[in-house]
Amino acid sequence: MEHASDLELARRSLAGDESAFAEIVRLYGPRVFRTASRFFRRREQVEEAAQEIFLKAFTQLETYEGRGPLEGWLTRIATNTCLNLTRSARRRPELMAADLSEDQSEWLENRMADAATELQRSFERGRVAADLTERVLETMSSDDRLVLMMVDGEDASVKEVSEATGWSESKVKVQAFRARRRMREAVERLLAHGRRGTGKSLESAGER
Amino acid sequence: MRDEHITAMLDDAPLSTFGESELAVMRSHIAGCDRCRRAFEAARVSSLMLKERAAEEFEPSPFFQTRVLAALREHRAANEAANETWTLGRLWKAAGLLVSSMAVTVAALAVFTFVAPQATTTTTQEVAASSADNSYSAEAVILGEGGASDEKMSYGQVLTTLYGSDDGAAK
Repeated sequence: MEHASDLELARRSLAGDESAFAEIVRLYGPRVFRTASRFFRRREQVEEAAQEIFLKAFTQLETYEGRGPLEGWLTRIATNTCLNLTRSARRRPELMAADLSEDQSEWLENRMADAATELQRSFERGRVAADLTERVLETMSSDDRLVLMMVDGEDASVKEVSEATGWSESKVKVQAFRARRRMREAVERLLAHGRRGTGKSLESAGER
Repeated sequence: MRDEHITAMLDDAPLSTFGESELAVMRSHIAGCDRCRRAFEAARVSSLMLKERAAEEFEPSPFFQTRVLAALREHRAANEAANETWTLGRLWKAAGLLVSSMAVTVAALAVFTFVAPQATTTTTQEVAASSADNSYSAEAVILGEGGASDEKMSYGQVLTTLYGSDDGAAK
């Protein structure tokens, strides 16, 4: 039933019914924004990308045959559009501990100190952590970023990533394995610098 | 398992997906392996960082729909303009071809009208002149013209030329 209405909306949009396309944007805007948020951090960038995704979707609407939900079809277009947009961007060089802001260094130190305790999340701490994550992700490829954000960040399954990207499930697994290792090594280096800088040790953190 | 390093295990799946028994194995290993303890800690922090980053989401603003529709109209208008330009370009090219072919036709007609008749006259005159110079005609033989030819012809040939046709007619 939902597929039929998706197909109906697509057909009406193609026939020039603007209100039908507006309905598609209204229904699936949040999903497209969520996808674009994996790649971009600033609201303007996310909106810009989302707009481009919908324009691309409109031009490809005739390829939608209603075999699956429009949401999945749009997510795939969104993911590939964002991958293309970010692939051309130059990756930043390796992030060094000296490049971190005071807040970010403090957050890392606290994570070591709180190793055995449950995090007390607050908006501010979350923002600092997200800033730091973004800085680490900027040193990685778009593919690494996507797979880490989806699998490790959003607990998406390998199948879901495969559907969103069009990659095979084995490719997703290999990509995730490598990306996870790269991320872990980058964080390990930052933590090592932090330990040297502050004199704190993981050993003491681990004992708590 | 206690002696096996856990780095490959850490990279194989998100830390949050490991069960208690697997975490217990990891903890028992990192108690005696400094390298794996650092890797485990980094994996744990990475996992936290990614969760925090993934928690950041934007909702479309109320104006987003209007913005997309405006962009869509602009996109369509640009496409139509491009199509129009393309059509005009094709028309212009077609017109150019038509004018060129007309010019070629006019030039060809001019050539046939003014140059070709003179060439035809010259050819007729040349044919007439060459006929007049024919040293083997009966008149030339009778009147003894074309002396150079006489020298080349034998007496028998002259007789055959003069009477051969009459003999054929009598038979």
